[in-house]
Amino acid sequence: MPQGDHIELHRKRHGYRLDHFEKKRKKEAREVHKRSAFAKKVLGLKAKLYAKKRFQEKATMKKTLAMHGERDNKHKAEDAVPEGAVPAYLLDREATTRAKVLSNTIKQKRKEKAGKWEVPLPKVRPIAEDEMFKVLKSGKRRHKSWKRMVTKATFVGPGFTRKPPKYERFIRPMGLRFNKAHITHPELKCTFNLEIIGVKKNPNGPMYTQMGVLTKGTIIEVNVSELGLVTPAGKVVWGKYAQITNDPENDGCINGVLLV
Amino acid sequence: MVQYNFKKITVVPTSKDFVDIVLSRTQRQTPTVVHKHYAISRIRQFYMRKVKFTQQTYHEKLTQIIEDFPRLDDIHPFYGDLLNVLYDKDHYKLALGQINTARNLIDRIAKDYVRLLKFGDTLYRCKQLKRAAMGRMCTLMKKQGPSLAYLEQVRQHMSRLPSIDPQTRTILVCGYPNVGKSSFVNKITRADVDVQPYAFTTKSLFVGHTDYKYLRWQVIDTPGILDHPLEDRNTIEMLAITALAHLRAAVLFVVDLSGSCGYSIAQQAALFHSIKPLFANKPLMIACNKTDLQPLETLPEEEKALIEEMRREAAGRDMGEGAGDEGALMVMSTMNDEGVVDVKNTACERLLQQRVEVKMKGKKMNDVVNRIYVAEPRARDHKERPPVIPQAVLEARANEPAKPARKLERELQEEQGGAGVYSAKLQKHYMLADEAWKDDVMPEIMDGKNIADFIDPDIMARLEELERLEEGEDDGGEEEMEEEDLTAEEKEALQAIRRRKRQLLDRHRARKTTADNRSMVPRKFDQNRELTTGRMEEHLSHMGIDPSAAVARVRERSVSRQGRKRGRSEGPSMDEDGMQIDGSQGPAHKKMRDRSRSRSAVIAVPGDGFKDSAQKIKIQKIKRKGEMARNRMAKQGEADRVIPNKMPKHLFSGKRGIGKTDRR
Repeated sequence: MPQGDHIELHRKRHGYRLDHFEKKRKKEAREVHKRSAFAKKVLGLKAKLYAKKRFQEKATMKKTLAMHGERDNKHKAEDAVPEGAVPAYLLDREATTRAKVLSNTIKQKRKEKAGKWEVPLPKVRPIAEDEMFKVLKSGKRRHKSWKRMVTKATFVGPGFTRKPPKYERFIRPMGLRFNKAHITHPELKCTFNLEIIGVKKNPNGPMYTQMGVLTKGTIIEVNVSELGLVTPAGKVVWGKYAQITNDPENDGCINGVLLV
Repeated sequence: MVQYNFKKITVVPTSKDFVDIVLSRTQRQTPTVVHKHYAISRIRQFYMRKVKFTQQTYHEKLTQIIEDFPRLDDIHPFYGDLLNVLYDKDHYKLALGQINTARNLIDRIAKDYVRLLKFGDTLYRCKQLKRAAMGRMCTLMKKQGPSLAYLEQVRQHMSRLPSIDPQTRTILVCGYPNVGKSSFVNKITRADVDVQPYAFTTKSLFVGHTDYKYLRWQVIDTPGILDHPLEDRNTIEMLAITALAHLRAAVLFVVDLSGSCGYSIAQQAALFHSIKPLFANKPLMIACNKTDLQPLETLPEEEKALIEEMRREAAGRDMGEGAGDEGALMVMSTMNDEGVVDVKNTACERLLQQRVEVKMKGKKMNDVVNRIYVAEPRARDHKERPPVIPQAVLEARANEPAKPARKLERELQEEQGGAGVYSAKLQKHYMLADEAWKDDVMPEIMDGKNIADFIDPDIMARLEELERLEEGEDDGGEEEMEEEDLTAEEKEALQAIRRRKRQLLDRHRARKTTADNRSMVPRKFDQNRELTTGRMEEHLSHMGIDPSAAVARVRERSVSRQGRKRGRSEGPSMDEDGMQIDGSQGPAHKKMRDRSRSRSAVIAVPGDGFKDSAQKIKIQKIKRKGEMARNRMAKQGEADRVIPNKMPKHLFSGKRGIGKTDRR
């Protein structure tokens, strides 16, 4: 007990206050009432947060109770062999569960087979041109000159060189250029921050593919050399396709799923 | 002087609280209303502000944490090592480093998202970006949970560390467990260390303070040390080692002679020799404790030899030649207080000596020593001249009867029944003319009046004065008696004198009564007009003095409102020779009086469209003249607010349509 722990020292010497336990008990007993009073009074965002917190607490409480009660609950003996002869109408029971498992596995298999030729996001919302582009006035000398600026996130390759401003029709702003993406490997359930190599296909049209616009559902090629994947032939895979699953311009980052 | 007080570190919130604090602060301190029909720049600015504000709040809070916690390299090595022993330096640095990284990352995130927000083209997009930014910052903070929790624990522990000043005079008590270190500290300080009859009662450093030579001494009680290599020592022992290693203190190695602590003298000596390096450059003392159980003299020879060896060690490494080896070994018994004070005094003395020596060797000393000069008369011969006290005085002093010790109030209390029964007598100290009056009972209230209100210490003096006055009046009466001898004229004169006297007295009294309460009033407010020039003239002439000069003087002085006309100046009076006569009642004096102060010139600067200053002055004059009548009547001027028509027809007739409010 270090120096200066006055309460501890006092307790050690003289024991607890006479009403300590009584007070403690009362405080605990009052706690629920206080909580409910607060819950009734609180408004707005705080109420929401509080309700959520309480819900979580209650859920964990129920789980613990259930865990404790497991010993007393009546539950089916798993692999207990029914003694004696079993009537025909009872033979069915165990079989149903097994059948269910079987059907599940079949579904799984079907899904896997189908998944090979499908992308995770088969359909996307079409994006209109006026949402994609914003008109910019350009130049100082001419009155009517204008250009289009892409308002979505874009990928611009490292070797890109600008055309002379006179011939430049689209502007891809520096602030919206991305060259890394958070890609989740669906089997490993792991996310990696991978470099983008190129845009394979933008569902909104070949022009966007060419410009490297990154919208939801776009297939991009990413550098997976970090992951250490190997082809059946034994070569290290370094480029793989992935599909973007979020709206990069709204989230400020690119999330995607690796297509395997 | 650095104060080592870690109590001021602010509380480190848990990661959840941290997020809550920052987000609610953002919510409260930034605008909350935005609509989608606002100009997009305004919407962008609204959300950018939110992101930036959140980042700033995080930055401030994290910086506060980073700066509050001491950097182990910057503080005194004693504290550096202590913190290392208690909280593990690596862990500590790692936690602070992570907080620092989090701060940088948050700054980066905010920067990125503000950049993205510049391209936000809808409210929805801006809002999403803001949400993403805040989410990322908060996620980052959530991951700092363990570091924050660790830092909070460290903070709590640090704030409870005893405040040891590593620079000051210190006595460090060390030794095996259960040898009586804590009881020694309890004896000489008020530290109130827990003492129990088992080993390792003291588990941390304890600080107490004691006095020696009017100085404050810090006494540090350390946990017991066992004799094993440094690597095997546990945290508790390491505290003692840290203190031994870094504090410039007098070390008191306590040895239990009786062996009732469970360790023999041989073991204790072995410990002493193994931690010897830590005693380097420090005054060291061996304090043999528990002499009530086992006196030093009756020890077996071989154990005596061990102690002797330790003593030699302690005396030998004492660098002060003057300290010698007496005092290197002391005996005490904390059980019955034998030698405890001696041990303390010797330890303090040795440390003081050493500190003074070190200081004298230092560079700074010369600056101070140069300034000190003790003047002594130079000895003119070798004769001794001690102070002379006359023989008679010496004898008188010797024969003086011893004064009886004054009884303290406390002793009186004990004699007469103790506290609660005895009541102290306050009248004892009254200073009265007669001793017998002390016990007189004095009523507080008499005839419904508080006696204290009527107590007047000067009553006797006043009474005498009054009596004297009465006697004086009697004298006056006697005078009146003599009136009969006077002639009629003389009587009248006497009457007049008396009237005048009374008048003067009355006026004086009247003035005196008012003067106390009233401030002096200027003459011009004197309503009674008592002191007029006319009255003065009358009075003076009555007294037979020619008043004309005085009246003239007063008239001359009086201030006229109109501005005094200059007296017609005469030309300098010449005598027949045409010489000016000096000192006569002449025009020189008159002139001196007559000339009034000329008005300071008003400088009219041309401008405001005037040709020159003359024109401007003229215009100003005309203007003033024109305003004069109006000003005198207090009428409204050009600058006053004016409502020319209070009920204009076009506003008060007909119905008001949908159109303008100033037309019907």
